[in-house]
Amino acid sequence: MRLSYKWLSEFVDLTGVSPEELATRLTAAGLAVDSVEPRNHGVSGVVVGHVLTCERHPNADKLNVCTVDVGGAEALQIVCGAENVAAGVKVPVALVGSRLPGDVQIGKAKLRGVASEGMLCSARELGLETRWLPAHRTNGLFLLPQTAPIGRNVVELLDLDDVVLDVDLTPNRSDCLSLRGFAYEVAALLGRENQFDAVAKSQTSELSSAGPLKIHLETDACSVYAGQVMDATHKSESPLWMQMRLLASGVRPIDCLVDVTNYVMLEWGQPLHAFDADCIEEETIIVRSAAAEEVLVTLDGQTRILDETMTVIADPTKALGLAGVMGGQNSEITSTTRRIVLESAAFHAGNTRRTGQRLGLHSEAQQRFERGVDMAAILPALQRATDLLVSLAGAERDGGPVVVGAMDGNTLSRSIAFSPARCNRLLGANIEPAEMRSIFHRLGFTLTGHDTAGEWSVMVPTRRMDLQIQEDLVEEIGRIHGLDSIPSTLPELWISKEAVHLDHRLRSATRHALAWQGMNEVFTYAFVSEGAANALLLPDHSPLAHPIPLMRPMSEERSHLRTHLLPSLAEVALHNLSHGAAGGQIFEIAHVYLADSLPLLQRPSEPWMLGCLWFGSTPESFSERPRLYDFYDAKGVVESWLTSLGFDQLQFRPADESWLHPGRSAQVLAKGVCLGSFGQLHPLVMRSLRLPHALYGHFDLDKLAAHLPEHRLVSPLPKYPQSRRDVAIIVPEEISAEELLKAAEDAVHARRGEVALRAEVFDVYTGKGVPAGHRSIAMALTLSAEDRTLTEDEIQASVDGVVESLAEKYGAILRGQDSGHASRME
Amino acid sequence: MHQEAWNEELQALREEALESLRLSVDEASLEAWRVRYFGKKSQLTAWSRQLGGMDPEERRAVGQQLNAVREVLESGYKGQLEEVRAQAIRHQLAAETLDVTLPGRARRVGTLHPTTRTIEEIEAVFLALGFTIAEGMEVETDEYNFEMLNVPKDHPARDMQDTFYLTDELLLRTHTSPMQVRVMKQIGPNQPLKVIVPGRVYRRDEDDATHSHAFAQIEGLVVGEGVRMSDLKGTLEAFAKALFGQQQSIRLRPSFFPFTEPSVEVDVRCIQCQGTGCRVCKDTGWIEILGAGMVHPHVLEAAGYDARRFSGFAFGMGPERVAMLKYGIPDIRLLYQNDLRFLTQFRRVLS
Repeated sequence: MRLSYKWLSEFVDLTGVSPEELATRLTAAGLAVDSVEPRNHGVSGVVVGHVLTCERHPNADKLNVCTVDVGGAEALQIVCGAENVAAGVKVPVALVGSRLPGDVQIGKAKLRGVASEGMLCSARELGLETRWLPAHRTNGLFLLPQTAPIGRNVVELLDLDDVVLDVDLTPNRSDCLSLRGFAYEVAALLGRENQFDAVAKSQTSELSSAGPLKIHLETDACSVYAGQVMDATHKSESPLWMQMRLLASGVRPIDCLVDVTNYVMLEWGQPLHAFDADCIEEETIIVRSAAAEEVLVTLDGQTRILDETMTVIADPTKALGLAGVMGGQNSEITSTTRRIVLESAAFHAGNTRRTGQRLGLHSEAQQRFERGVDMAAILPALQRATDLLVSLAGAERDGGPVVVGAMDGNTLSRSIAFSPARCNRLLGANIEPAEMRSIFHRLGFTLTGHDTAGEWSVMVPTRRMDLQIQEDLVEEIGRIHGLDSIPSTLPELWISKEAVHLDHRLRSATRHALAWQGMNEVFTYAFVSEGAANALLLPDHSPLAHPIPLMRPMSEERSHLRTHLLPSLAEVALHNLSHGAAGGQIFEIAHVYLADSLPLLQRPSEPWMLGCLWFGSTPESFSERPRLYDFYDAKGVVESWLTSLGFDQLQFRPADESWLHPGRSAQVLAKGVCLGSFGQLHPLVMRSLRLPHALYGHFDLDKLAAHLPEHRLVSPLPKYPQSRRDVAIIVPEEISAEELLKAAEDAVHARRGEVALRAEVFDVYTGKGVPAGHRSIAMALTLSAEDRTLTEDEIQASVDGVVESLAEKYGAILRGQDSGHASRME
Repeated sequence: MHQEAWNEELQALREEALESLRLSVDEASLEAWRVRYFGKKSQLTAWSRQLGGMDPEERRAVGQQLNAVREVLESGYKGQLEEVRAQAIRHQLAAETLDVTLPGRARRVGTLHPTTRTIEEIEAVFLALGFTIAEGMEVETDEYNFEMLNVPKDHPARDMQDTFYLTDELLLRTHTSPMQVRVMKQIGPNQPLKVIVPGRVYRRDEDDATHSHAFAQIEGLVVGEGVRMSDLKGTLEAFAKALFGQQQSIRLRPSFFPFTEPSVEVDVRCIQCQGTGCRVCKDTGWIEILGAGMVHPHVLEAAGYDARRFSGFAFGMGPERVAMLKYGIPDIRLLYQNDLRFLTQFRRVLS
């Protein structure tokens, strides 16, 4: 809402309160002022001039030489290039020494040899709000009415000394979509008298002889409808002061009739509409639901197809307008109009809103209806507009207003119980009851009933429909009194059993563990295209292949909820590869959304997923040449992370995920439960995702949280030294390292219960000396016993046992044995 | 041998040995020198043996001279050995000098997303104030997202948050506030609670520098008997000081949310200009960081609480906005673009 400071000062004395201070007070009271903008952008020394003569410039076709009376002893000679300059017009004249917006100073000039003592001005040159002026007022000079006094300061004449406060209203304060609302608000804040009714309320009291209009309400969507018939002819312009107030308020001046309806809407908050009465059959207005596929051409020239949910204003034969949204062309006021019907009504808020939304319309009137208008303003606003049309446009009443309908129970003034003690308790403040009483009084609320019991009855007027319960009144007290006076305290401390749930901590620990492994966390959007997961080669029966659609997506690219993080992470990789990165390691922890069935019948499941993507090559470094990220990079990260969560004895088995390379991927199992999978992407998936090279890890963190290992006690340190022997054996390549190590350990445990063996792989070799289809695996065997230092014989016997057992089981051949590390303490 | 002859011999040996010592500049030649002059076959050893055959007087005189020469040579040897060793270390150090400006070999540390960092920081502040953390689902019902929060269908407040619907009843939550009722139903009825709820929310906004159709939010809720608006002020003041520095102060401005009454916007002193006025705060000296208010009695009742006995306050903030202010991030889309050149600027662990 653009609030004119000068207009407001007509209702509340603002002496001593600058626009800036007013803005601060309003903001502190919950009416946030976004900007304070003077209408004058630098105009001074500009006066009203009367063009006496206007002759073609002797040396220029497009220039005229004018003599202009500005109230001085002699007329001024001014050269002007505007097309609409003519003898007899009144115009703004920038005198020599005057200033215009943009730091323009006017001096004496010679234009093509002719002296010019000033400049005749256009709207733009005066810094007027040209975006709300019709074209004929912005092309050429800004012509002034003939009544404008010669020599009058234009700053005063055009109210350029006004200041506009742009107020960002919260949706509950529909009362402040009007000067009336601000008058109450500012009067309460400043403790000054509110003169609104004295200024803007009609003094006419002829309600007795209702006019000729007949009104039928056939729908609940309209609770009250008032109409005034008038004889009125078209008048092109409203008075300059009215146009200036409209401009200051951001409303386009159009003609006298429309300007008056808009002016009263701004003043009272009640939208009005005017119909050409001669276009209304039988002088009868019917408010009814639209018929299905009923057609109406609205004022903007668009043909609208209506439906039964919409409300129309009609006569017995046709629709005349969309209630509260926009009038129809068939009853529009034109230059031939002789009689009008002025409408002031209350239309259902939700109905108006839905109609506007369906038709994509949004007007000032609609904005007010959909927030609810004040029942008590319907008739006064109609009377105010009638008065103004009589006085400004020479219109004449045809009888009094006709009013049909009943007040809606919800919008009647209401009484709310209020306890000053409870108010102070809720605010944590100590405001005197007398101060509260004064605040209510200043806001125009009345206190009724006895207040001896500490309980008041506060009568709230209909214009404040946002106030329904005691807490609403507490807010009124708080905001008018000032929230600054509320002290700072802390609530009691309640200790809870588990401040942070395990799954939350797991996610946090995972983020930190992965970041310490060199991975970068990313945040991507949950919305993807319908086919985003197609790249993953998912079988049709997979729930991942069926994303949940949004009802009204903003674009095709973001039309469905993702079922998988890979496509989003691939997008990030592509962005970085195309911006100079040679590779990267990224991860995201986010929900995916899986429907039980489509169309959706219940809330989908939203597991927390971890997606890790390694793409391109490792960073360049002088100590290590860049190379493509490989399976073991991914595995190293995954192992370190899971170990940091307490998982041990992880098992890695070939994975069976459609998006992974079957030979270069693994699923991770802990105690037989699959925690997730990782590995190189399937070549076809990489091609679909347009990734040159990438590995992907995929973990369900909810599942992980459910299988987190128990907290464990420490193991005692060994009392006796351990011994290490290295053996290299040749085995068929299909024997996995894990299987081999386990067989080695089992061999010792089976033979000599008291000797403990830990086996680890430290080298894998294929090539010269190793038959095809085989590989050489070098294992470090660490042997120990709980009760003694093992003798050389015992160690050798155990190692021999391992080798024999592997030979027996896999046909393993001993390639070499080394005790070089034998003395190393582990 | 005559006394003087002894003397001459000894002095000659001394000169010769010292000269030879001066030329021994590494440990190997020093060792050879030691063997030559102090070893079993050395002249000094041989002469020492001869002392036994002398008469006492002569033995004493020669012995003294012999010892004097021995002492001179020994101390010369020790000094030279020290010098040679020091020299060797100096040479070794010089030879082993690295270019310390080359990059280290350590594994590069990755980064947490700035939004995560900020959320964790905010969580830590509220955990210290005795809050617990709860989380909800992103797909919500219309009932919890709007109806139970006092936002009936067709309410103008829905203008502020145009919503992504999945079905007529299911939607992507437009705020974390539905968790107010869910948490109260979980813990209540009529039990005190202090909880924060971080999570992602969605609104039908066109993405631009300050708007995103998806963003993070943190909800806060405190319910108990006698919870006051002054508690809200004190709690959020403590939060602002913890996050933005002890010199911070906050300002409450009345506002409107359907699910709180009274409602306020909370401003902090501009982080850029400390309140003197700048572009970031549009010259007001204040920056809005969150919305808050006293829980509306209808919401307490919807969750099964006795609104006459219990009161509470709630607040909601955007950690991305906090991150943008804190780190000077000009465009929220940078937080979703995930350019590694941007992300890797957040290596610093302390916030």
